Amino acid sequence: MTEKLISHTNLERLLERLRERGTVYAPGRDAEGEVALLQWPQKEPLTLEFTNFRQSPKAFFLPQTQTLLRFQDGKPVEASLPSGERYLFGVRPCDARALLLVDKVFLDGDQNDPYYARLREKTTVIGLACAQTMPSCFCTSVGGGPGDGTGADVLAVALDADLLLKAVTAKGEDLLSRAVDLLAEATPAALQEAEERIHAAQDQLAPAATADSDRRLREAYDSPLWETAGQKCLGCGTCSFLCPTCHCFDITDELRGGVGRRVRTWDCCAYPQFTLHGSGHNPRPTPKERWRQRMMHKFRYAVENFAVSFCVGCGRCIRNCPVSMDLRTALKELGA
Amino acid sequence: MSDSQQIETRLRETAEKLLREKKVSLFLGYEKATLPFRTSPLFLSKPEEVERLAWNPFCTTNLSVYLPRLFKAPVDARAAKAAPPPPTVGVALKGCDIRSVVALLQERQVRRENLVLVGIACPGMVDRRKAEKALGDHQALGAGEDGRGNIRVVVDDGTEITLRREDVVADACLECRSPAPTINDIMIGTPVEGKKTETARLRTAEFESRPLEARWAGFQEVFSRCIRCNACRQACPMCYCQTCIFDQNRPRWIGAGTDLSDVAIYHLVRALHLAGRCTECGACERACPMGIDVRLLGRKMCAEVEDLYGYRPGEAIDATPVLSSFAMDDPQDFVTEP
Repeated sequence: MTEKLISHTNLERLLERLRERGTVYAPGRDAEGEVALLQWPQKEPLTLEFTNFRQSPKAFFLPQTQTLLRFQDGKPVEASLPSGERYLFGVRPCDARALLLVDKVFLDGDQNDPYYARLREKTTVIGLACAQTMPSCFCTSVGGGPGDGTGADVLAVALDADLLLKAVTAKGEDLLSRAVDLLAEATPAALQEAEERIHAAQDQLAPAATADSDRRLREAYDSPLWETAGQKCLGCGTCSFLCPTCHCFDITDELRGGVGRRVRTWDCCAYPQFTLHGSGHNPRPTPKERWRQRMMHKFRYAVENFAVSFCVGCGRCIRNCPVSMDLRTALKELGA
Repeated sequence: MSDSQQIETRLRETAEKLLREKKVSLFLGYEKATLPFRTSPLFLSKPEEVERLAWNPFCTTNLSVYLPRLFKAPVDARAAKAAPPPPTVGVALKGCDIRSVVALLQERQVRRENLVLVGIACPGMVDRRKAEKALGDHQALGAGEDGRGNIRVVVDDGTEITLRREDVVADACLECRSPAPTINDIMIGTPVEGKKTETARLRTAEFESRPLEARWAGFQEVFSRCIRCNACRQACPMCYCQTCIFDQNRPRWIGAGTDLSDVAIYHLVRALHLAGRCTECGACERACPMGIDVRLLGRKMCAEVEDLYGYRPGEAIDATPVLSSFAMDDPQDFVTEP
């Protein structure tokens, strides 16, 4: 694994070079003053001082509204898959790790989704280790960490003077090998500084009760706690729309005259229509069953199917729930 | 002891008494949440658990949103027959929340005889986003109220920061003309004075003063950030339709995605469906995960309804809602020929 140092000035040069090969996205301030992954360069300089983006980079790979194909007079017109290369710089480790989880759904064997596959293939992810966590963060409880490079092609760690770049994948190795003139050897002092910074961030995190979640949830299917949660849940889709691993979608045809398109949009298990049958029957008739499903999917079914929970501990659902529901509390209260 | 703490004590006593004497089977209030600047709704049915009830500057949720659900009979006839009788509910309500209850009563969505309305004097609730922004790079670890009603925050480096309440209260609170829950069964605390009529109008006026193109650009800028998560709709007490137009799929009136035309229709339809019904509690705005000014159109609609018909939703239970009444001299000059 290649480990190199890059100065802040050279980082901009690296991004400049990547921009010659495709579109670069990097942390910048949006109209609201929030740090978001925006097309680089922006008017304001690159910022590395942020906790995490309001939205995860999920939409880069699973766009909220995605045209799958167009048709005319009942015949499909070939849909063009995107062709440009994209470089995402500054993705936090939790969000990068989420990509590997969503891959399991869309890229596993017979489930290969060409739209998703194409966007993944055409995108290089440069992660950025966390220096500052939030009280809603719990990545270390779900297999990640503030310095975890999983899911990224390169992981960057911001140091006092430079950034440490670690290649994680072959794509990442390639990216670094093409930029050797901008890079310096990683000194032992720099490696130690990176280590210390990651540890400092790790120490800020409080553990969540995720252990053995599949068994505990299996035994808690009829727990009265679902009733309590269902009373409170408003049934909006904030948690799953902001979740980096929630990936459920709906497909609809939009037709006007003889011309139309087939479009894929995000969907959400908190909505009653999600499971509404044509007969009018709904197997998940109330928020209780729907909220239970979300927890079961993330912490039980995913573990049973993929041996890993579908949560990366980014805490967006906790920070943004309009009624402040916290899945960590549910995990703690559900069984021992 | 701060005002909030006194109110909290009285609230717990009130809820305990109502539950113990079986005046109510359920009490809706707030409890501490896991993150600072927040509370979470609490559904209490046991009098011995009233200590969980909290009252602090973070009780933003408009609890009336839960009421229609509690009184809704199952659609299925057999299930309706087997359903238990509707509960008797005690509920903690601020001035804005009580206005929603009034509108729900007018629209026959809740049963007055099954409700015990506990009105609480509210000096304005904290918008967590404003508070978080005011802290800059600091992370809040805990937050509470000082003796003067300002917000005391413990931040990540262990120090304390005090935020002035007026700097961090929600926009709807800054515009609130009736913070006192005038219609109530039990009143807790001393009501504060309402804001002037113009406060909300000044914001609308600023937007209105822009040329048409700039308004359209502004509209697009605001709503292009919408992710169609429905949080504004779900947090709104007046959005109780059994099947919302956005959820219908035969026919599907609007696309489910985030194309600007779909997003625009979503917000236009909400603004129109809430005209003459919106009680300006600001729940939609606070629920929005994208920080959108969701009430951009709603504020204007409220002013229009008041100017044209002299009606403010949620003020009196026996008032006739503007959409349910017609007078020969109603202004009609906005009606255009097809």
